[in-house]
Amino acid sequence: MLRVSDLHAKVEEQEILKGVDLEVGAGEVHAVMGPNGSGKSTLAQVLAGKEDYEITAGSLELDGEDLQEMAPEERAHAGLFLAFQYPVEIPGVGNSYFLKAAVNANRKARGESELDAMDFLKLLRERATLVDVDEALLRRPVNDGFSGGEKKRNEILQMAVLEPRLAVLDETDSGLDIDALKTVAAGVNALRAENRAFVVITHYQRLLNYIVPDHVHVLLDGRIVRSGGSELAHELEEKGYGGFDGARAEA
Amino acid sequence: MTSAADTRTGPYLELFAGRGAGGPVGARRQQAIERFEAAGFPGSRDEEWRQTNLGPILRARPVAASGRALGDGGALPFLYPDCDSMVFVNGRYAPAASSPPEGVTAFSLADPAGAGSELLAEHLGASVDGRASCSADAGVHPFAALNTALFEDGVALGIPAGTALERPIQVLWLSAPSADAAAGDNGAPASMEVSFPRLLVVAAENSQASVIETFAAADPAAGGYFVCPAAEFVCGAGSVVRHTRLQADAAGAFHIGFQHARLDRAAAFDSSSLAFGGALVRNDTVALLDGEGADCTLDGLYVLDGSQFTGNHMRVEHRQPHTTSHQLYKGVLDGQARSVFNGRIYVHQAAQKTDAKQTNRNLLLSKAALANSNPQLEIFADDVRCTHGSTIGRLDEDALFYLRARGIGFEEAHGMLVHAFAREVTDKATFEPLRRDLEARLFASLNGGRSNGQGG
Repeated sequence: MLRVSDLHAKVEEQEILKGVDLEVGAGEVHAVMGPNGSGKSTLAQVLAGKEDYEITAGSLELDGEDLQEMAPEERAHAGLFLAFQYPVEIPGVGNSYFLKAAVNANRKARGESELDAMDFLKLLRERATLVDVDEALLRRPVNDGFSGGEKKRNEILQMAVLEPRLAVLDETDSGLDIDALKTVAAGVNALRAENRAFVVITHYQRLLNYIVPDHVHVLLDGRIVRSGGSELAHELEEKGYGGFDGARAEA
Repeated sequence: MTSAADTRTGPYLELFAGRGAGGPVGARRQQAIERFEAAGFPGSRDEEWRQTNLGPILRARPVAASGRALGDGGALPFLYPDCDSMVFVNGRYAPAASSPPEGVTAFSLADPAGAGSELLAEHLGASVDGRASCSADAGVHPFAALNTALFEDGVALGIPAGTALERPIQVLWLSAPSADAAAGDNGAPASMEVSFPRLLVVAAENSQASVIETFAAADPAAGGYFVCPAAEFVCGAGSVVRHTRLQADAAGAFHIGFQHARLDRAAAFDSSSLAFGGALVRNDTVALLDGEGADCTLDGLYVLDGSQFTGNHMRVEHRQPHTTSHQLYKGVLDGQARSVFNGRIYVHQAAQKTDAKQTNRNLLLSKAALANSNPQLEIFADDVRCTHGSTIGRLDEDALFYLRARGIGFEEAHGMLVHAFAREVTDKATFEPLRRDLEARLFASLNGGRSNGQGG
């Protein structure tokens, strides 16, 4: 589904990604772990098409299509979803209005008929229940004045409503207390499906107790220095990232 | 030989020749034209006017707009349902198109029956150029003085004590210049039709009313004409006056307006100014909080494109304790549009416990658009809460990316963000037909603007 090959990316003349390789198949959950500054968020933003980053080498493909050729909205239409590390506050745009616009923009782009107000509301309520989001959040402006936990839940709600094929969760766990973390994880687990893949980017292993990944990758200094099964996350928990310096030297 | 000042003021002084001189209003007209003649038009050294280029107006020869009959239903597209209305065409009352309110005093200023009314004798022109009501440095407002001297018609509205009007009153100021007035060289008309709409609203103690002023052109493609309106609001103790000022003049129009509100004890005055049209537009607002507990809200929105200019000059005077004023002015500028916001809050020594807030936010959609913002506070009391802030910025790129990452296309995402910015002001309209009209105008302005190229 997703194929990232030898990806190099820089921002303001500073190279952040120095050759990332990552392959994600349908139905799989991949965790990308790494310390601050390792390039985790850059990878997420580059996948979603943020223009601040310049790709200097390598390739990005979703279902064989070159993502680099696609605008951010086209990537969304193709089924890519990024849960932002820092969801943006948009005063004046109602959350439910925004979600309806997003759903219908995607449906239109895919040649499907747009949902009317009633059908959309039904979908929204159903998904809000699924990911345990209070309906009061739907009536407020997008993320405006939301607590950290509410923002992260709102990301998961958007994911549930948009039904992406590939969801990239960028530190969705950071700043969440254990209850909120469980809710977010339950939401993700409820959406796991044969034809849907997840890339869960995180600093800490804790989230992976609740979202059990099929594959774990360690990102260090712009490269994936080690890949393994879910046991790798526990190894990281014990040894910390320091233990992978050797691997970096070899890479 | 005539001096430059003579050639500019001369044609306006000539217009005065035919205006009635009798009665208390006549005396005020006389006083106003003398003040105007003495002050002349402001020059580039005049602090309050240096950012407003009056050149295009002063170069054109003013011709009194003729009272033109409007075809059947000509005013209808501009009138709201569930509303009383008074319609003026080129500054003159069109009774056939109007349905004036009942149970209140409402008459055309040109109606001889109203000439002797106490309302006019006591209030008309008493505040607009009465220097005594403002602090000494406020000076003469030359265009307000011109209006007092030269208005031909307008509205006098008196709301009796204790009366609360349920329906808003819409005053439509429709401009329908004759075709030849538009002709001129270099886009500047050699002559332009000028009208001086005049509004007087006197809300007696504990009364309530909502007045919607609409400035529009019968033909939106009409060429240069000049509207020079003045409005006075006398808000009695405990009265609640809502006012909306929708400026949707033709693209080539000039519009220099003045409005003045005086608030007595515990009065509330809430005025929204929405500017979409015109080539050169300016609106000056003076609010005097003259009674304890008076509360004034002044909101504004200007949506500009091309080479439009809009200036908003505010002066709010807190003269008594426990008075409140809140101002929120927002601007959306595309093309080479320019705007000026000049806000002054003046807190007199007696006005302890003043609560004053002034905010001006500008959104620039193109590289060539330019917004000026000058909030000013002058505080002579020591126990007050006054804040002011202004921002001039571009669309939030992060928000744009966020929307696009959810599948919303660039154009739609851009439109959503600009609308969201502007709607903070238009959403305050509680009268549903007005709110819908403002939304439609906002949509049309912004979408028209987009075709002129993307700023970002």
